[in-house]
Amino acid sequence: MGDSGGEFESGKNQDDLIMQRQREIEKEINESIMLVGDKESLSTLEAEYLSDEIYKLKVKDLATKYKNIRRTRPDGNCFFRAFAYAYFESLLDHKEDYNSFYNIAVESKKKLISLGFPQFTLEDFHDTFMEVLAIAGKEEPNAHDELHAAFNNQGYSNYVVVYLRLLASGQLQQDADFYQHFIEGDRTITEFCHQEVEPMFRESDHIHIIALSTALNVGVRVRYLDRGESTEAIAHDFPEGTQPTIHLLYRPSHYDILYPI
Amino acid sequence: MPTYLTIYLLPTLAEPLFHCSTKLYVNQLRVLLTKRLQKELLSLIKDPPPGVLVDSEKAEQNLSIWTIYMKGADETLFAGEEFQLQFKFSPKYPFDSPEVTFIGPNIPVHPHVYSNGHICLSILTEDWSPALSVQSVCLSIISMLSSCKEKKRPSDNAFYVKTCSKNPKKTKWWYHDDTV
Repeated sequence: MGDSGGEFESGKNQDDLIMQRQREIEKEINESIMLVGDKESLSTLEAEYLSDEIYKLKVKDLATKYKNIRRTRPDGNCFFRAFAYAYFESLLDHKEDYNSFYNIAVESKKKLISLGFPQFTLEDFHDTFMEVLAIAGKEEPNAHDELHAAFNNQGYSNYVVVYLRLLASGQLQQDADFYQHFIEGDRTITEFCHQEVEPMFRESDHIHIIALSTALNVGVRVRYLDRGESTEAIAHDFPEGTQPTIHLLYRPSHYDILYPI
Repeated sequence: MPTYLTIYLLPTLAEPLFHCSTKLYVNQLRVLLTKRLQKELLSLIKDPPPGVLVDSEKAEQNLSIWTIYMKGADETLFAGEEFQLQFKFSPKYPFDSPEVTFIGPNIPVHPHVYSNGHICLSILTEDWSPALSVQSVCLSIISMLSSCKEKKRPSDNAFYVKTCSKNPKKTKWWYHDDTV
């Protein structure tokens, strides 16, 4: 590669173009969709699939089980953000669960430090996580509004997401022998955590959900809305066999919150 | 608590704690960012990795650009050499990775370091996590230098240095070879 200035140029432009386009897409998403939206009727979901027979049937069935949907921003953090929002929201009405979860959350920091996470960076995320969690313990009538506002303020919301990512990573590393079987390729669990769990905006898969729901002992039911054969959006419960506390809707690479009837 | 500081500065807001005004939102992030950088600086001054020294005076003057001196580890190809690193922090740090480059007269001759100081290291771009820190980046760079078996520039050095953006984070890196 020596003399062709034109080639240099095209090489450069390619990188620039890809990244510029990526930033534009991110910006579009940021400006148009709230981190966590308002509660909507499930009929808004039906309206999205009027001309698609497979999805239409599944959404119809979904509407017999769920009354509302709350959308989250599709930024790769949606599972973690939806999980935290839905669970904190449920704690507003269940004070005894709030108290026991508060203790689990306090203890979780010690557990992560004992697993080798640096206390130093962990602390900020844990502190902010606890601060937002504390809102779910408030008795005031506007506690829900406050929670909603916190989840739509990146200064709080993303700190909560990071902390949940670290908790999932901690769980995976603690039970590495078990989770190793679910990792594709020849990555170790630690490598997988560093590449797919801890970085922000990295999308979540089954393994993230199993790890987080196990770490916090919170049952999650995920409804899968996809092109698979069947006339309903199939449910998967995590950890397997538990009673779900929160319900999420999965559509290829995205999670929203569902509210049962 | 420092995160509440902004609320006292803006007493006229209708919903004081979590009002989503841009002003408060920016303040909240700035407060957390400043707190985090001060904490990192203090820790790096007090408890630096071996061979690492931060120019604390400069960093205290401008928290968003640090100069860090690094010595090549003993019994490695870089033993006895001294390097300078520059860390730049965007307002989105720690969600955005720091921009890290070698600067100064001695740029290590290493298969992942370009002659303009840019470093090809996955944690500096796509594998960055907000739980990492200046300290962990320094340790990764020390380890990258220490495991070097042959002092040479990346094979595409001439091409890259001519065409790259000033900011290494604008490069779409291919992390194809972890063995060197």
